[in-house]
Formats: sequence, C-alpha cells, structure tokens
Amino acid sequence: MMHSDALIARAREGDKNAQGKLVQLWYKRIYNFSYKFFFDHDLAMEVAQKTFISMHKNLAGLQEVTRFKSWLYTIAVNYCREETRKKKASRSFSLNDLNPGDGEESYYWEESHQRHENPERQLRHSELSDLLQKCLMELNPEQREVVIMKEYEGLKFREIAEALNISENTVKSRMYYGLDGLKKILEQKQITKENIGYEL
Amino acid sequence: MNYKPDESTLISYLYDELSDKEKTKLENYFQQHPEELAKWRALGDVRDMMSFAQDKEVIAPPVFVDDSNVRSLWQSSYFKISIGIAASIVFLLVAGKILGPEISYSKGELKISFGNKKVVEPVPANSLTEEKVREMISASLASNNEKQQTLKEEDEKRLMQSLVDMNSRKMDVLAKNASLASREQVQAFVAGLQEQNLKLMKDYFQLSSTEQKKYMESLLTDFSGYLQEQRKQDLQLVESQMKYYEKNNNQFKQETEQILTSLIASPNRSKNNY
Repeated sequence: MMHSDALIARAREGDKNAQGKLVQLWYKRIYNFSYKFFFDHDLAMEVAQKTFISMHKNLAGLQEVTRFKSWLYTIAVNYCREETRKKKASRSFSLNDLNPGDGEESYYWEESHQRHENPERQLRHSELSDLLQKCLMELNPEQREVVIMKEYEGLKFREIAEALNISENTVKSRMYYGLDGLKKILEQKQITKENIGYEL
Repeated sequence: MNYKPDESTLISYLYDELSDKEKTKLENYFQQHPEELAKWRALGDVRDMMSFAQDKEVIAPPVFVDDSNVRSLWQSSYFKISIGIAASIVFLLVAGKILGPEISYSKGELKISFGNKKVVEPVPANSLTEEKVREMISASLASNNEKQQTLKEEDEKRLMQSLVDMNSRKMDVLAKNASLASREQVQAFVAGLQEQNLKLMKDYFQLSSTEQKKYMESLLTDFSGYLQEQRKQDLQLVESQMKYYEKNNNQFKQETEQILTSLIASPNRSKNNY
C-alpha cells in the first residue's frame, strides 16, 4: 500500500505536509498512466500537473478515504480525455513525435535512469518499451485506458469501474477486447514472446 | 453441455478472480474446446509481452509545504477574542471610574447614568403664569396700537394744515396780481385779441382762395391736355385710314394696268396665231 488512510485524511483536512507527501507518492503513477495513454512526455506532464492541482483543490470534498485511488484516476482520465479532445481539435503534433535523438535535444535527459544497469541492455529495453507503447497506442482510447489501469497501474476491476463510472462487466469486456486487439497488433508487427526473449 | 464462457469470465479467469465452482466449469469447457484454451493462453502471452513496457522515471515537482503548523499564541483566534473582551471590560471600568456611573431602579424604570446628577430647581410660587404672560403681551400690544393711532392722526392733521396754508397763499398772490391791472390794460389786451383773431381769419380765407384757384387751374390744364391728346389720336386714326385707302387705290390701279396690258397684248397674239 502506497499510503495510509490517515495520510489522506490529514491531507483532506488541509495538512499541507500530507498533501505534499501524496503528490510525491502518486506523481510517478499518474505521470506513467498519462504517458502510456498519450506516449507523449509533455502531455503526460501536463495531465499530471493538472491532476494534482485538481486534487489539491477538491480533496476536501472526497467523501470516502478508501476511494482515493479510483478518485485520483478519475481526475487523471478526465484530463487525458480533455487533452485528447484538444489534440483532435487542433490537429497538431508534438515535437516529440519527431523521435528526438539522444543527447541534450532529447527529453530523456530529464528522466532519471537506473545507472547500475548495462547501458546496451538498457537501450534495448527502452526500444522494446517504445515498440510496445506504439502497439498500445493503436488501441482505441476506451480499451487503452482499461488496459493501462489494469496491467500497469495494478487497479482492481472494481476500482477501474469506479474510476470510469462503468460496470465491472464492461471493464472486463473492454479488457478482453483490448488484449485481443493487442494480440493482433503484435502479430502484425511480428512481435512474439520468442523474439522478445532473444532480444533481451 | 451448452455452456460457453463470456469475455468477462475469461478475463476473470486470466486474473484468477473466479470462484472455484466457476473455475472448474471453465476448465472442463477448455478440456472439451482446446482451441478456446489456446486463444485464452494467447491473451496471457500478450500480457507477458506487454509487461516489458517500462515505467518512465520522473521526478515529482517540488511542492511548497508550509512547515510552520504551530501557530503562535498571538495569532490564535481564542487569544484575540479574550483580549478584545478584556479590553472592553477595562474600558468600561475606567469610564465608570471617571464619570461616576449611577444605576437606579424605581417604578419599573431602570436608569443608568454617568456624571453628577443634575439638580432641578423648584419653581417659585409667585412666578409668572402663562395666563399672566398672555395678558401682559395683549396689554402691551393694545397700548402700542393706541399710540400708533394717535401719532397717525396727528401727522394727518399736520399735513392737511400745511396743504391748506400753501394753497391759500398762492390764491392770495394771484388775486393780488389781478387787482393790480388797470382798465386800459384790459381793453388793450381785448383789442389785441380781436386783432389777432381777425388776422387769423383773413389769412385763412386768403389761403383757401389761393388753394381753390390753384386747383381749378390744374383741373382746366388737365382737361385741355386731355382734349389735345384726344384730338391727336383722332388725327392719327384719320391719317392711317387715308393711307390705307391710298394703298388700296394704288393696288387697284396696278391691277387695272396689268389687266389692260394683258388685254392689249392678247389681240396681237391672236392675230399672230392666225
């Protein structure tokens, strides 16, 4: 468990220390959720910031402390959808879509990597991760958000249902079709378990 | 057996969330339908492959946290309220000490007063009453009116007297002047008047006869002018008529000449033709 209910309760009562602690605990999760949703660093940063500003403003209105996780993801999902709408409306593309190279021009320098790992292996992992991320981006947004929440964020089906305000059966159905869709996409791109094992 | 698991059941089985009974049922189904089991396993493989997508490391932005949770006694609202009440009480006490408050209750009336009590002096017995004051005012007004009336009458009398005196003096002067004139002077004055009247009459008649004469002359002149003009116009008319006749006569003459000429010329021509 990343936090205790007492911490959320203190944050809800306006304890700024507790609020700061919650941000520290959840920032990486919300950023990664948004990053996997958009495959875009800037948009993920934008959504994460907006989510925590909204959390700070509306935490006092949270009825049940136990629902904090799904409540936080609800905010994040709403901002992701908002950004998607904006993106569709503006039809612009991120500079990161230009696939920046290594070095200072890349935003990768902003991220902290595990430095103990073998650099070559780390690079292969990174490439594979991006490849799988691209496969994920080919799913429709409804299936994508469910797959990310379940597979990467580790939410229970009940929590996903709460966050998206849909039934558990609908969540499971979207999950099934999401995984089935991914299977087809991976087949198209000739990515198999054996290939991955060989690469790594 | 007609059982076919739905997507929800397959996913629950994939995440190991099925009850034992349902799990057994599904496993039996998979034994009978190995192709469905292969499909289900493929989903598990997808999960395994997708797990290689790494999390990005990111540093949470700094959050400005207010560490000073403990508020000083001076800033607490309890302290401020109690200090306010205490200050009010002290102010009242000081004011009471300086002004000398007096609180009394009598006949259902509560009185709170500050400072020395004002002593109301009793009204003397022989003092002026309202009736007396009214009488005094009316008496004073009456005497004042009387005085004004007498003054006014005196002034009027004096004025009339002065006017009479002045008129009689003027009349006396006039009478005196008239009595001083002699009979000759009166006759001369009358004669002068008669002469003047005569002269005026003469002038009038003379002027009127002259005017009439002038008028008649102008009238006659106008008439003679009219006659002259009429005559002139008649002469012009006669002259124009004469000219007209003359012209006609000349024209007749010419025509006659032409006819005669043609008549004279025609026998000669007929003779030549023969």
